Amino acid sequence: MKLFKKKNELYLSDKQPLSTVGIVMLGISYAVLIAWAIAILWPLTQMVISAFNGSQEQYLMVNDNFVFSIKHFEYLFKETLYFTWVKNTIFIAAVTAVLTLVIVSFTGFAYSRYRFKGRKASLMAIMLIQTIPTFAGITAFFTLHSIISAVVPVFSRQMMLIMIYSGGGIAGNTFILKGYIDSISTELDDAARIDGCTSMQVYRLIIMPIAKPMLAIIALWSFIGPFMDYLLPRVLLTNPSSYTLAAGLFTLMSDFRTMNQPAFAAGGLLTAIPIVALFIVLQKQLVSGLSQGSVKG
Amino acid sequence: MNVILKNIGKKYEGREEFTLKDINLEIEDKDFCVILGPSGCGKTTLLRMIAGLNSITEGDLLFSNKRMNKVPSKDRDIAMVFQSYALYPHMTVYDNMAFSLSMRKERKKIIDERVMEAAELLQIKEYLYSKPSDISGGQRQRVALGRAMVRKPSVFLMDEPLSNLDAKLREHMRVELVRLHKALGTTSIYVTHDQTEAMTMATKIVLMNDGKIQQAGKPDEFYNRPENIFVAKFIGSPTMNIVEGKIIGGKFVADHNLIIITPSPSSALKLAAYEGKPVSVGIRPERFESGGEFGDTFTATIDVVEMLGKEKILYVRLENGSELVISTPGHFKYVENEVHSFGFDVESIHFFCSETGERIN
Repeated sequence: MKLFKKKNELYLSDKQPLSTVGIVMLGISYAVLIAWAIAILWPLTQMVISAFNGSQEQYLMVNDNFVFSIKHFEYLFKETLYFTWVKNTIFIAAVTAVLTLVIVSFTGFAYSRYRFKGRKASLMAIMLIQTIPTFAGITAFFTLHSIISAVVPVFSRQMMLIMIYSGGGIAGNTFILKGYIDSISTELDDAARIDGCTSMQVYRLIIMPIAKPMLAIIALWSFIGPFMDYLLPRVLLTNPSSYTLAAGLFTLMSDFRTMNQPAFAAGGLLTAIPIVALFIVLQKQLVSGLSQGSVKG
Repeated sequence: MNVILKNIGKKYEGREEFTLKDINLEIEDKDFCVILGPSGCGKTTLLRMIAGLNSITEGDLLFSNKRMNKVPSKDRDIAMVFQSYALYPHMTVYDNMAFSLSMRKERKKIIDERVMEAAELLQIKEYLYSKPSDISGGQRQRVALGRAMVRKPSVFLMDEPLSNLDAKLREHMRVELVRLHKALGTTSIYVTHDQTEAMTMATKIVLMNDGKIQQAGKPDEFYNRPENIFVAKFIGSPTMNIVEGKIIGGKFVADHNLIIITPSPSSALKLAAYEGKPVSVGIRPERFESGGEFGDTFTATIDVVEMLGKEKILYVRLENGSELVISTPGHFKYVENEVHSFGFDVESIHFFCSETGERIN
């Protein structure tokens, strides 16, 4: 009791004590945040539950009957092209991430460290192009694809997709990486040059290791992109065996011939695995990157 | 290795004016040359040109009579310590120090020997395997020095290396740097805006302002024979007093007529040509004489007394309100608002031409 009282006497917070209005506002904030959290978490939990619920049939029903079963997963693996879709998506995502990363690391470095004609104008252009949604260019993409594949028959629709994803990613991420590299003192470059580095070595041995956290974030984002996007693969890819996960899984709930909503939930759940795996690999870099990014803006 | 700058000029891209123009300088082998100047005077630009980080627009840079203008930094046999230390944050202290040697493909054994030797000298052996972010500012400073040392360069360049340290540590590192310079026997070029650093460390000072060299020479010349008013005011703390006036009948008469000085015979000879012309008189605060029984005196009211221990700084006002700064030994008694008369040490008075600012005597 004595201890408790002492605690009450000493007001240790640096903030002013809350007034009545303040307490009410705090209550409202909590209510809003909790409601928001529920709005996000409820569908997710429903998805997880339905995926394992054996009593769910073709259509998802919200009910209390729960029988644990993995039959929806079995359906997914045996009756659909699920593994092909996973393979397609990981292929597209990985190539997109690598392409974006390599090119962005060069462009970000160049825009940050070199002064050249058209530097400002091209940066401006990149920013403006970002404001136009990718989907607006869909007819152009079609034409582009038919022209390229006429010359190079190997150029598949999936490769077109990779080009669209990495193209968009390069533009936006160049900005982000440029900003990050700007915050690295140029004295480091000078020191490295005196120590005997060429420009390429400054990039490879000094700047890239320091920019690693930001590169990790860029890699993760560009990897997640193809998992999340539905529209472009749906329009561009015509053959179910070339579908990505999003496009493929959607056939499980859009077309009544192949309808199996619990399997869709199961597939959605499994989709998270590759992303989580990458996240765990990059975790150390990501945490420092996110916190640094927050300070440097 | 001696370093010679001949008519060096620098114009940055997109600028109208030359940042530096007609810089002529000769730095002898084993000199500790300090480039001093207020911020924005071009001293760092000059150092970066010597380092090869900035291009040289015009003129010649010679290292031991070899033209270096187009030689890349890494082949100039130099090492540089930066203001922010510029340690590579992703490498350990050891790797930082070994980096330049490993870039030169030295053998592992030699690298290890050199790093250990430098670490021994700088007393940084205990944290050779820490990251730069885990050690203190003073330690980082040593690592930066160590990184420059392991290469055994012929010219050591330093860009305000002590400005990020606290006062006590700075004092300590000043002595260390001089010791290091002597031990290594290299030519050092050191940029700073701190006159104390310049006066204490340099064997040669180069004072710059507005992209020009104002004076180059030994530290005591700077204090006792400043070439112009800018140098006179820049060196010395408190700042030298400057009084504007005219030479009338061989005597200096201040514009407000409150101070009259009879110059010493040797100065009088040189001042003869300035009869009737505007002249500025410079006098160091410690060269006033209290009481002034001999020669010219003036009376002034003591406005503020600053007690520094070994000395007292008096801020005095003449009758017309113009201010002078006088330094006296600390044990002398002065009271604020007291009216006092002061004299001059005539031998130590500096005369400058008011129009050009150049020294006369």
